[in-house]
Amino acid sequence: MKLRVLADRCTGHGRCYDLAPELFDEDEDGHCRLLVPVVSGDLEAKARVAAQNCPEEAIVVSD
Amino acid sequence: MTDPESPEPAQEAGSADAVNLFSGEFARCPQPVYRDLVSRCPVAHSVLGDGKVISRYEDVIWALRNPQIFSSEMELQLALGTERPMIPQQVDPPAQTRYRKVLDPRFSKKRMREIEPDIRRHANALIDAFADTGQCDFARDFAVPLPCTAFLSLMGLPHEELPRFLRMKDGIIRPQELVEEEVPDFAAMQALRVQTGKDIYAYFRDVIEDRRRAPGDDMISYLLETEVDGARLTDEDILDVSFLLILAGLDTVTATLECNIAYLAGHPAQRERLVADPALIPSAVEELMRWETPVTAVPRLVKEKVTLHGVDIEAGEMVSLLIGAANLDDEEFGNADAVEFDRARNRHLAFGGGAHRCLGSHLARLELQVAMEVWHERVPSYAIAPGAVPVFSPGIREIRSLPLVWANA
Repeated sequence: MKLRVLADRCTGHGRCYDLAPELFDEDEDGHCRLLVPVVSGDLEAKARVAAQNCPEEAIVVSD
Repeated sequence: MTDPESPEPAQEAGSADAVNLFSGEFARCPQPVYRDLVSRCPVAHSVLGDGKVISRYEDVIWALRNPQIFSSEMELQLALGTERPMIPQQVDPPAQTRYRKVLDPRFSKKRMREIEPDIRRHANALIDAFADTGQCDFARDFAVPLPCTAFLSLMGLPHEELPRFLRMKDGIIRPQELVEEEVPDFAAMQALRVQTGKDIYAYFRDVIEDRRRAPGDDMISYLLETEVDGARLTDEDILDVSFLLILAGLDTVTATLECNIAYLAGHPAQRERLVADPALIPSAVEELMRWETPVTAVPRLVKEKVTLHGVDIEAGEMVSLLIGAANLDDEEFGNADAVEFDRARNRHLAFGGGAHRCLGSHLARLELQVAMEVWHERVPSYAIAPGAVPVFSPGIREIRSLPLVWANA
């Protein structure tokens, strides 16, 4: 599974690094920093949760 | 007689196509009105004549993400006692982006985590004062002082200033409760706002001078020192940020704590779930923010004509984006009408969205999570005192007095 973050949509809600700190971190402004662009196994579920909880729909998941 | 199978929405709160967002009944129990608006009237009229009311999730998030159409530059329309727009709330991109570059790092989750021990200690100290008595006024004794003191710490201001700050924010947000007339009229309310605004500017002008002489680790010193794009903020900029921080920082978490505890006092099974499984608290905090949405709506000024669900909204009109209603939209939330603490997908808009996403959201989440944890460790079982009827204030749903009782172990 591949992950992509649309930086121009992220406004720093921080749900992704709250819910999936293995995959996302915050930059200095509190915006999303993608740590792991390709995920497999149990982390796929975490990636989906993060994407589904982003109010800006800034996280794109593709298989 | 009305058909019992099809209940009418509460009349005081308005019918489906004309809604009163400032009625007491709506503030107490907005959810049925929200559900009705979302399903039957996605663009309603405000009975107060202050513009249209937009309710569906997809419309609200679209408006939030398009500030060039739905502008926040409405200082004159809102008339909150300011002499200039509040920064960054009443400034749109691109100018707003520069201010957020200065402010966002100061309110990041990492930075907020540093003050978690202080918030936890303070929450415990507040409870120490009344735990053994088996009763308190949750508003006066906990929900007001906890976030307000955290705010004063961040600003580097003495905690004894709390009463002054509470008067300043109430003088702007709910002047009707401070005007000493039985039926406060608009002119009296507005005069109090203007006077309060002057007091806020004067107070912070002095703070800026103090910090310039003796910088510290506080917000104002930081704002004086930080450069963005090679330029520092002006003193007026800093005053306009401070004005916003008072309004946004002193009221919202208080209201949210009150809404949460009132809900849990009325739903003992839900409360018992949280007590039994404190790991649920972070997602429960999100779910209660969705369900209660203490800041019910955010205003915007329409810059170009739009037509939404067949309703024309003209340039120059004000609209209310009813984030509380968007948060109960079935199109976005499965089982939107149920409070589910383990909801897996929750893109609620209680903090708004788009460029103006609440600057203090990470501070608010931290305060709410710590407060809910500590409170339920210390006072796991409680009820609203017999005979007490919580009164919710409109707009931002504060409960001015919330008497609780519990049996001591």
